[in-house]
Amino acid sequence: MQELDFIETPENVELQRRLAGIGTRFIAGLLDTLILIAIYVVLLLIWLVSTFADVSGDADFLFEAWTWSMAILLLLGFVVYWGYFVFFEMRTNGQSPGKKSQKIRVVKDGGGAITFTDIAIRNLLRVVDGIAGYAVAGICMFVTRKAQRLGDLAAGTVVISEATSEYFARSGSKGDVQWQREASPEALRATGLNPEEYRLLSNYWMRRSQITLDARRQLLLTLVLPILKRHGQAPRDESVAMLEYHLELLMHKAIASEQTKPPAPGSQGVQS
Amino acid sequence: MTPARFLETRRDAWNRLETLIAKAGSRGVARLTDHELHELTRLYPAVAVDVARARMYEIDPKTQRRINQLAIAAHGLLYRRRSVRPTRAIWRFFRHDYPQLFRRLWVYMVLATAIFTVSTLGAYVSVRIRPSTAHLFVPGGLDVVDESEVTAEDVSERYRRMPKPPMASAITTNNISVAFAAFALGITAGVGTCYVILMNSMMLGGFFGHFANHNLSYECYSFLIPHGVLEIFAILVSAAAGLRLGLSLAIPGQVTRKNSLRAGAKEAVLLVMGTIPMFIIAGAIEAFVTPTYVIPGWAKIIIGLTVWAAVMAYLLLVGRRKDGKSVIGTGKATVVALT
Repeated sequence: MQELDFIETPENVELQRRLAGIGTRFIAGLLDTLILIAIYVVLLLIWLVSTFADVSGDADFLFEAWTWSMAILLLLGFVVYWGYFVFFEMRTNGQSPGKKSQKIRVVKDGGGAITFTDIAIRNLLRVVDGIAGYAVAGICMFVTRKAQRLGDLAAGTVVISEATSEYFARSGSKGDVQWQREASPEALRATGLNPEEYRLLSNYWMRRSQITLDARRQLLLTLVLPILKRHGQAPRDESVAMLEYHLELLMHKAIASEQTKPPAPGSQGVQS
Repeated sequence: MTPARFLETRRDAWNRLETLIAKAGSRGVARLTDHELHELTRLYPAVAVDVARARMYEIDPKTQRRINQLAIAAHGLLYRRRSVRPTRAIWRFFRHDYPQLFRRLWVYMVLATAIFTVSTLGAYVSVRIRPSTAHLFVPGGLDVVDESEVTAEDVSERYRRMPKPPMASAITTNNISVAFAAFALGITAGVGTCYVILMNSMMLGGFFGHFANHNLSYECYSFLIPHGVLEIFAILVSAAAGLRLGLSLAIPGQVTRKNSLRAGAKEAVLLVMGTIPMFIIAGAIEAFVTPTYVIPGWAKIIIGLTVWAAVMAYLLLVGRRKDGKSVIGTGKATVVALT
């Protein structure tokens, strides 16, 4: 079992999520069970009152009313039993009251949103996970890497902890090796960028063909333009073409610097 | 750029994002105006990058955590399921998806039915040859019919005395629970599901055999068929779901076991969800039609078979429009009758 789960957002930033521990999940489950028991006690009380209460009136009508209220009570008991977790996890995007109290949440393994089907699968499989007081779930969580019980495995979900809010983005990304390439000192010197900015810009440059034009405009305006401006390259206008032209100049400078290493002393800096 | 300047230039964006997230709350982006939503989609990628930059500048952990938290919260807001009205989703499911799913998974249905049939016949033949084995198949349920002079009327008398609405409720909920268990136990590579099928089929076969031994077959059938045909059919559908789940784990084929299980579970859970209305119909028949004196036995059998035929017609004919083989006429009629 590991402690962290990695997701890569579509924005190409990799976030780390902290997985909820078995102990926390057990406490959350215990709380949910207590709430369920409380609901059943209330239903039982209603049953007792409606069965043994001394009400005067038309006997036939009372009997009829009693039979229907019994039917509804039975139905309620059933709906609560199977629907409690499904209802709350649907409503709050993955948090039953017990989970909420422990600040843990059900999320899709690998990012994305949980759907009704996911929630239904993981909660119907409680039948099996719950065998011998959730022993099956416990063993399963011990042996799986992401502390998943059977329901989680089948639904493709993990339970994460939001308690310590320890999310860190790892710079760079998985995937194409090209994007992960560290900036060489020569390229940095030639472009005047710091490593983080360089990675950002080259990332965009490598992937731009896979991005829609609208998204490119957004990325250029929010990410690339500020960096260009900081390095004294204010484009004439803020069109995609103009911004990418300036970006291209920078990228070429970086590539050229690497092909002609070692660079001559004094040739560093911006030569626009 | 210095860390101080980084903080200074980006602080407004973070504050703004925080305001937007707070405004959206747990209800999601629906609470934001169009303009604010647009702002959110613009702020989020920039703040996601800030997370990385904040790490690089090694600014204080508290601020780093705050930016991380903002990025995750915004991510959670933007990447969540589209909310569809439940009524609409349910209508769509039963109008198109469910019959299509049923037809796609027919192999599992055949498999479940085959196991069921063989086991029922086995128990029946066994009880016919050796009447004493009936107790093995129907545990505790034979006390009423133990004496050969007992008629089916006496058996159904038990049911007649029970108040009907709670009975319908109890039967329906119990059957749905069995169906859910048949699905869930599929995670044991299908073994648990087979156990559910065998338990039910042997009981049924034993029951039939026992009544046949006492020459009460007609009474038995008129008592079981009205609700039983649909009920057993629905149990078989949920068993098929369990087998789909189990075999996706046992025989993943070309994909990884993990992905095979996920895909299998997704189809299987939907297959079992669709049995709920069937059990409600069967439960209503069992409580209100089966025990009544008013309708003669043969008419009850016809009612039971007709309802089952209607469900079959729905499963086989509805929702075909998309793949071109149009049988829409019959399909529409059936779906209206059922919903």
